[in-house]
Amino acid sequence: MSAPATSSRRSFLKGGAIAAAPLAVALPAAALATADHKARARQLQDRAEIAALHQAWLRKLAAGADASALFADAKASQLGPTVHGVAADHSGEADRIDVAADGLSALGRFAVTVDLHTELPRTSTLAQMAHLQGGGVVRHAEARTLEARYVKQAGAWAIAKLALAEA
Amino acid sequence: MAGTPYPKLQMHRFAYTKLTPEQIQAKLTPAAIRGPSCASPMSDVFANKSLKIVTDKGPVLNYRFKGPNRLTLSEGDAKPVDAGYGALTQDKIAFFAHLIPGTQRGYAVVIDQATQLATVFELWFSGYQDNREVQREIYQGYVEQAGSPPDKRHVTTNRMEGHAYHWTQDNGAETLEFFPSAAYSHFVELSRLGGELGYCAPSDYIKLDDDFYLYARVECEFSGTLTLYAIDLNRLQQMGLRLGFDARDQLEYYVFRGDAEWLGQIAQFEKFGDIAGNVVPPPKDAKKGERRVYRPLLTMPKMTRDEVNAAVAKKTTVFPPPGAGPQMAGNSLPSTGYLAGKSLALRYDDGLVMEYRFDGPEDLQWRRDGGDWIKARYKAWEPAPGVINFGHLLEGAPDHDGHMIVADFDRALFTCFNGHLNTPFFANEAGVKVRFGVVEMEGLTPPEYDRHGFTDELLGRALTWNYAPGLTSMHLYSTPHSMSWIIFTEAGAGGLEWSGPAAYVKIRDGLYYMYWLEEACNGTLGTIVINLRTLHDSGIGYHCGAEGLSMSAVGAHMRHAGRFDILKFHQPKTEGTQA
Repeated sequence: MSAPATSSRRSFLKGGAIAAAPLAVALPAAALATADHKARARQLQDRAEIAALHQAWLRKLAAGADASALFADAKASQLGPTVHGVAADHSGEADRIDVAADGLSALGRFAVTVDLHTELPRTSTLAQMAHLQGGGVVRHAEARTLEARYVKQAGAWAIAKLALAEA
Repeated sequence: MAGTPYPKLQMHRFAYTKLTPEQIQAKLTPAAIRGPSCASPMSDVFANKSLKIVTDKGPVLNYRFKGPNRLTLSEGDAKPVDAGYGALTQDKIAFFAHLIPGTQRGYAVVIDQATQLATVFELWFSGYQDNREVQREIYQGYVEQAGSPPDKRHVTTNRMEGHAYHWTQDNGAETLEFFPSAAYSHFVELSRLGGELGYCAPSDYIKLDDDFYLYARVECEFSGTLTLYAIDLNRLQQMGLRLGFDARDQLEYYVFRGDAEWLGQIAQFEKFGDIAGNVVPPPKDAKKGERRVYRPLLTMPKMTRDEVNAAVAKKTTVFPPPGAGPQMAGNSLPSTGYLAGKSLALRYDDGLVMEYRFDGPEDLQWRRDGGDWIKARYKAWEPAPGVINFGHLLEGAPDHDGHMIVADFDRALFTCFNGHLNTPFFANEAGVKVRFGVVEMEGLTPPEYDRHGFTDELLGRALTWNYAPGLTSMHLYSTPHSMSWIIFTEAGAGGLEWSGPAAYVKIRDGLYYMYWLEEACNGTLGTIVINLRTLHDSGIGYHCGAEGLSMSAVGAHMRHAGRFDILKFHQPKTEGTQA
């Protein structure tokens, strides 16, 4: 079961009630309430941990620090050679974190601004000279959606994969 | 008869001797003992004085000046050495220079006597693979006085960017010196080389205060000579040092004075408030004295005629699609179908007749002097109403010719920049012939005498060109026969700079056709039609390298960056040659 991280408590409860409905047939009311409460609590906890993981990743990226420890596989920590910065875009769509029903994986979607550095091909004298003087790079920012996949390993969340999609 | 002022080979063609350290040492030793010469009286401002110059991250120099031309130097705690020196003053600024006997090193020092701040240039030979190239490291510091050392220092700056001067030195040397970059400079040797071409050199610019600046250049890729001087901006006077080996390997070691004429200032493109120097920082982990130097002759591919023929046969590219070429057409004008369906002949004044059938907007047939028709790909642009710029390769031509043409259909005139390969120095280096003539076509009556012609109307102008995001340069038209190009840094400062032979043809008022040759530098022939009113160009590049021969579009947005008043320095001299 999943819900947007920024959804209201009312909509969250509604979604939780629907997901839990089949259990109501077999379980007494008190047991049902306890199970539902635990599931919701676990999910809130998961989403909070994933949000914190995402913030930690953003901070490390902004500081130019090594973020590979946040990943399930350190080799998956790169977004590509042209991406030189990612920052939260507070004017974009609300962040969304969907935790799988088994609580072992999750998907996140975050509105971000991406700093892209595109290296000029060295096919002209001008470009060659620009590179020689330490430039030769076109920098621009674009609004994108960061699509993140998370996995829970040994009781802790880690980033499994990141991808940038059109906003 | 005095003869002409022109060298047999221009600087970029001259094979400067690869002097050995021993050859250099042999010439420096007596000069270091003697000290520099000077055509003007030298100053005794330091005579019988002692100075201790303390530099940041550099040496402590203990000087004892025994007279107007003898000194003793102790570098830190090292043993004192005697040397000859020369000193000059300009108002409150004092300058002296010397070599250190037994070494290939020396110092040039500028002291502001009001503040006791000092800039020290440590100079040396045999520090680069070309031993004759003077190396320099710059230290900021002060003359030690009683009390606390000063907090301020002389600083590198972009405040000289955009200036230009006509200098006449006390020894008669006359130059035009342009500072369109904060990291390089461009100079035209009027008296030494006849002023035909301009050249570029990595340069330092240091602010002493708002009235005095320090400038230095090293003629890398050429003789390796250093020219260093302090400029008094109000009085338009200079004093400085020239150190290096000339084309005959004679040591030039003298201090000089000079007077200037202010030639104006072109625009700067940094943000207001940005007066920082060091706009092209040295490479990471740079060694002492190391900086980023454009060395195009060293790095360009140099191909033989056979290699060129093989490369052309292997791959020839004519107007590749956007994104596949050298990225110089990102802001190109839209191409035109103006010529499609037309048939015409270009009758060259030198006798050639080229007939054309334009089968479409990008396909034509041509034949030379009534020969067989040959198909070719072309592209055309209309940089001004009725003026068509088009180009195509001449398949089968032994020198792989390309014709880049501007035809004015209102006047039935054309100019052809006939690019070709297999030139004398490097076979892949483009050459160009400028050819004029008339357009013969149904409905057009060409003039009998009128022709396009060479012009000096662009002389002294600076124009910026934005070809694509991140690809912006500035042209400086510094002589009627050469052009310099400056590459902007991300902060908008002028950075690396180079130059090459060029020619300028007037098509109409405000409309010019020019070429530049990247001789001893990639070998490209660039051709553009400049429209000073629409602030746009249309052009064609012609280039051969190991990857093959290419003809590609060039197009950029233009800005006027200003103009230097230099026409009078390039007027034909009417006095005649002196006997």
